[in-house]
Amino acid sequence: MRWDFASVFDNTDALLVGAVGTLRIFAICLVLGLSLGLIVGLGRYSRNRLLHIPATIFVEFFRNTPVLVQILWFYFALPILLPFQISPLAAASLGISLNSAAFSAEIYRGGIQSIETGQWDGARALGMRWGQAMRRIILPQALKRMLPALTNRAIEIFKMSTLASAVAYVELLQQGKLIASLNYNPIEAYTAVAVIFFVFLWPLVQFSYFLERRLRRDE
Amino acid sequence: MAYQWDFSPVLANAPLLAQGLANTLKVTGTALVCGVALGLVLALLRLSPRRFLSWPAGFVIEVFRTTPPLVQLFWFFFALPILVGIEMTPFVAGAVTFSIQSASFFAEVFRAGIQSIERGQWDGARAIGMRHDQALRRIILPQAVKRMIPAFMERAIELMKTTTLIATISYADLLFAANEVSQKTFRPLETYTVVALIYFVVIFLASQVARLVELRLARSGESTVH
Repeated sequence: MRWDFASVFDNTDALLVGAVGTLRIFAICLVLGLSLGLIVGLGRYSRNRLLHIPATIFVEFFRNTPVLVQILWFYFALPILLPFQISPLAAASLGISLNSAAFSAEIYRGGIQSIETGQWDGARALGMRWGQAMRRIILPQALKRMLPALTNRAIEIFKMSTLASAVAYVELLQQGKLIASLNYNPIEAYTAVAVIFFVFLWPLVQFSYFLERRLRRDE
Repeated sequence: MAYQWDFSPVLANAPLLAQGLANTLKVTGTALVCGVALGLVLALLRLSPRRFLSWPAGFVIEVFRTTPPLVQLFWFFFALPILVGIEMTPFVAGAVTFSIQSASFFAEVFRAGIQSIERGQWDGARAIGMRHDQALRRIILPQAVKRMIPAFMERAIELMKTTTLIATISYADLLFAANEVSQKTFRPLETYTVVALIYFVVIFLASQVARLVELRLARSGESTVH
């Protein structure tokens, strides 16, 4: 068997389109997932039952079902209840974002809980309200501790973005499939896709190792 | 007009879904057993002081932790068979992919567990005349494994969720059965909802067991690794 990457290089355009698609859905899910996760995490942290219970149900449901099932549910099932169609991008983004929100909510909650009560007391002594203390005192400190875990979430989101190909959203893996079927070169096409993902993700993974080491040293 | 929910066509296909669930458990079980065994081997190789052993093991672990599992699955199903000239069924491709993929995560759990055991245990074993592998098997691993149980269970649950990817290469797991039933009955809403709930029940129960075990270990004063 002779490797022939020429047929892959001839399709650089298609791979570029795929890379843009991957980065687009990654950015959407990163922003939506991590910001919604903060809201849900605050709900989980809250002692108010009206906030705590719905947040808990949300977290348990989305953590305990596979993300591919969630994506397919949003794509095939949800439109039945809605008066409009759902695009592959919307379905995949919904599934991945809500799934990531559930996982990151637990990171936020753990981070906030890890801050000593003295910090809250100090903020209150300065006359800060709950929201001010959270925003100015607690979150900035907690964020530092959460950074490695949140970076890992970002890596997971990047990897999960490939699942969007299951609903035919145009991203790298989907383009790899297309190239493989047009040129009968699955070995080269899928190897190229794997290498591209590795190149994107490796620096991110190294960065997360660095953050973990730094956190362990600082604490 | 409000949508009329009707679960009866889905329930009529319960045997198909049950078969799907059985297949999901089959893939998960196979990959779990192979993944744990391979994970231990990878961890021991990675911890080896010999570079020609530790370096390739580290490479495999990094590659499989860093690339998306779906890309790995496609590579094993569509590319590898051509490369080595053997037919691969979707089950075999899935089992191989998920075994190596989970092994690379299990390897890091094993490594953390083994490294968490105090040096004194190694010294003690050596003092009573044990060789390296004897000390590892009789002294270090039994203690390390206990600390790794929570992390193991967490990974096992992740593995079960990952196996849904096998539906994309047409292996008849629970998610693939959902696809089939929804096309047969024209009831995607009910079908996917039921299937999501089945996954939820199985995975939620598994997580609760994991949580109980972790609490028990914590109460007995056992430190754990993640």
